[in-house]
Amino acid sequence: MKYATRYILFLTLLVLLPFLAFVHLSIGQVDFSIEEFFSSFLMSGENQMKDIVLQKIRIPRMLMALLSGASLSLAGLLMQTLFRNPLAGPYVLGINSGASLFVALSIMTGIPFFTTDLSLVSGALIGAFLFGMLVLFFAKIVKNQISLLLIGLMLGSFTSAIVAFIQSVSPSEDLKIFTLWGLGSLQKVNIEQIPYIFMFIWIGITSALLIIKSLNAIVLGEQHAKLLGINVSNTRFIIILITAVLTGITTAFCGPISFVGLAVPNLTRILFKTQQHKILIPGTLLIGGIFILFCDIIIKLLENHFIIPINVLTSLIGAPMVIWLVLKRLK
Amino acid sequence: MSLKTKDLIIGYHSPLLHVEDFTLDTGNIYAIVGRNGSGKSTFLKTLTKQIQAISGNVFIHKKAISTIPLQNFPKYISFVPSRFPDTEYIRVEEFIAMGRNPYTNFFGSLTREDLKKINHSLHLLNISHLKGRFTTELSDGEKQLVAIARSLTQSTPYILLDEPTAFLDYPNKQNVFQLLKRISIQENICVLLSSHDLEQVIKITSKFLLVNKEDKIIHFENSIQQVEDIVSKIFI
Repeated sequence: MKYATRYILFLTLLVLLPFLAFVHLSIGQVDFSIEEFFSSFLMSGENQMKDIVLQKIRIPRMLMALLSGASLSLAGLLMQTLFRNPLAGPYVLGINSGASLFVALSIMTGIPFFTTDLSLVSGALIGAFLFGMLVLFFAKIVKNQISLLLIGLMLGSFTSAIVAFIQSVSPSEDLKIFTLWGLGSLQKVNIEQIPYIFMFIWIGITSALLIIKSLNAIVLGEQHAKLLGINVSNTRFIIILITAVLTGITTAFCGPISFVGLAVPNLTRILFKTQQHKILIPGTLLIGGIFILFCDIIIKLLENHFIIPINVLTSLIGAPMVIWLVLKRLK
Repeated sequence: MSLKTKDLIIGYHSPLLHVEDFTLDTGNIYAIVGRNGSGKSTFLKTLTKQIQAISGNVFIHKKAISTIPLQNFPKYISFVPSRFPDTEYIRVEEFIAMGRNPYTNFFGSLTREDLKKINHSLHLLNISHLKGRFTTELSDGEKQLVAIARSLTQSTPYILLDEPTAFLDYPNKQNVFQLLKRISIQENICVLLSSHDLEQVIKITSKFLLVNKEDKIIHFENSIQQVEDIVSKIFI
């Protein structure tokens, strides 16, 4: 019975995803007929302009929506499992802030090491990892989960303050670049960068799948995991590393996108009603991709009237969802 | 097969209690009794490698536990903590299946042998009907049985339990104690439990480890008369 519902859920998601991807691709200023769409898709269209619109603009944006949604959601799931707290996530725990801080350094300080495209990525990765380790360090000292969340929020505030300071002393061109980055966008990625981003995210996903056994034990808490023979400190370190890669890479290319990592894993757990990571990981990846794809479809539909940054929309949807989750747990 | 201690001194960072050398044999049930905060939990945690001994050694089948690697240790001793984890969305059979963790492959897949062990434990504790329920939906008594079932599924010669009846009402207490007694004999397992339910414990065993806080010592006693004398001294 319960397995049947699982299959139906997966099947629904697997149908919904390509459907939304197709809808996402078909929205925009330029209209495509069905034939034009498929011929452009296969790069054999007669209309070169339409080929370029689809291949260079729409497909990268669609793929980036999927990749960012999937990776941020998986990062959130891993954080929630590690800290045994459904309100944990890369954003709440300040891991995003670490990435943001280093990106701010890279865009605005003009320190030579930080000024190339590659260094923006490595900066975000390093920042995410450093802050991940910092949170881990605090987690070892404070056993109380609420305190840990508060520390994460304070880390976030503290880094925002530093970033604000850097902003106040930066020239206006740099400031503009950083502000736009901070609003989040799926459009800055070009098709050549996608394979590299995909590779990083793939490494993150594969590593997560390789520690399924430890993840399943760690949801019961550190003591139980140890009693079952799991090397908890190794697992923790690996989780932080994977989270840093997933959060860092998406943050570097799309800017900070909040609440996805917090809301999607919770939604997945509520839908599938399980703590088995062999179900939760694919579930989170699919729902995460669908979630951002859906948000970006709304953005594209409204684009003629006003432009909503992706980070604004995910917060608008995500924040009420989290409040709902908190209320639900209080019952 | 036996579990032995030699010149054991336990405590968190500083010495708390000296443990007189003793031997626990499989097929028997033992109880460690003492006041709240006397060091029962510290003692059990030391035996299960959750904390290090200050000095001295614990031997299982003549092997010092400090030399047994972490991932193999759960094949020797299983431990039932006093609190059941409050994680949601875990089904009883999944929770019990985790007892097979030390034996399963890299991905944790269950073999037919594993499933047989799981069903055997469910059957022994009369909780087969709870199999598909979420652990968060169980009563305190049921939770304790499920926790014991996971320990059994670990197929260890030793099961240690920290205050297994602390949160239970009278009928549930009796039930848990009787089940533990039955299991120790039927499955030839050594059960060591901590408790301050002396009246109940005396019904199922006469082998005691007594924590004497005054003299900072844990010592072994197996004559009921002696136990009663000493216990009245410790508790009053």
